[in-house]
Amino acid sequence: MADPEEPAPPSRLDPQGEERVKELVRGALGSASVPPDLTQGVQRRIRTRSRGKFYADGWSTSKHPPVNTYLVTSVMMLALLCAIYGLLHPLSGSPVEVKPPQPVNVLPE
Amino acid sequence: MRVGKGGTPKLEPSDPDDESERRFIERLRARDERAFLELVQLYQGRVYKLVFRMVGRRDEAEDLAQEVFVQVFKAVGNFRGDSRLGTWVYTIAINLCKNRLKYLGRRKTESQADFEPLKERLNAEEVQGFTSGDVERPDQMAEGREVERIVRLCLAEMDPDFREVLVLRDLEDLSYEELSEITGLPDGTVKSRLHRARAMLKSAVERKLGGKS
Repeated sequence: MADPEEPAPPSRLDPQGEERVKELVRGALGSASVPPDLTQGVQRRIRTRSRGKFYADGWSTSKHPPVNTYLVTSVMMLALLCAIYGLLHPLSGSPVEVKPPQPVNVLPE
Repeated sequence: MRVGKGGTPKLEPSDPDDESERRFIERLRARDERAFLELVQLYQGRVYKLVFRMVGRRDEAEDLAQEVFVQVFKAVGNFRGDSRLGTWVYTIAINLCKNRLKYLGRRKTESQADFEPLKERLNAEEVQGFTSGDVERPDQMAEGREVERIVRLCLAEMDPDFREVLVLRDLEDLSYEELSEITGLPDGTVKSRLHRARAMLKSAVERKLGGKS
């Protein structure tokens, strides 16, 4: 049922007329452009307005998880640790054997 | 909207009581950033198109579509799940569009004519009705484009309350029930407003076409 508060249309449209207007609208606005990727912009706004509470790390704002970044960083850290070990190991030498001290008799015989 | 096994939303309509959708909404409520990213990726295309059709400007549409998702993020804690998530997102989008249109007073200018020209659009062959898609001769093509331009102009001049029902029903193919949820109007009012909007558009186009000939 029509709402009594709504004013009557300026002219009556038969079903065919309605269909024709529908086609006009679809023809004029039916196909929109390729939608842009909104994820970066949305996350930037949320990060700004939440003062860094959400999407604080830059990595979570990327569309795909940066797997390569994680891998390269891990490999570089391992290589660095190996290099440090390689450098310091020759300096360490071999441990000197320590003889246990002889017991000392402090009481007079 | 339906949510798949891995919590990934799908597009087909679903029962609001759907367990997987409920879980997805819970993740959103818990401010799960990954869940929200999924939501944006799922709806960004539809929201952008809807907003673009309402405001008619590409730059404005991108800005407004981003704002829609920011508002969704802010308000998702209050989402009770009475309606489908998609309908709720549309409601926010439509309200923001109407507010922006009213704020800018853009209806009275011709700047809405930023709608893309036919040659830039996708699926031009799918354009229906009395448009350049139906005609072959150059003069008929030009005539079709002119009609499209006039229709866009008339839509731009239309009150946002009427424009929204045209866009939601004739372009987004939403049901009357969904229109009723989004606009907050009774079914009957939605139908009469849609009828009135079409009649107004028809009169406006005829008036402009009559003025040209």
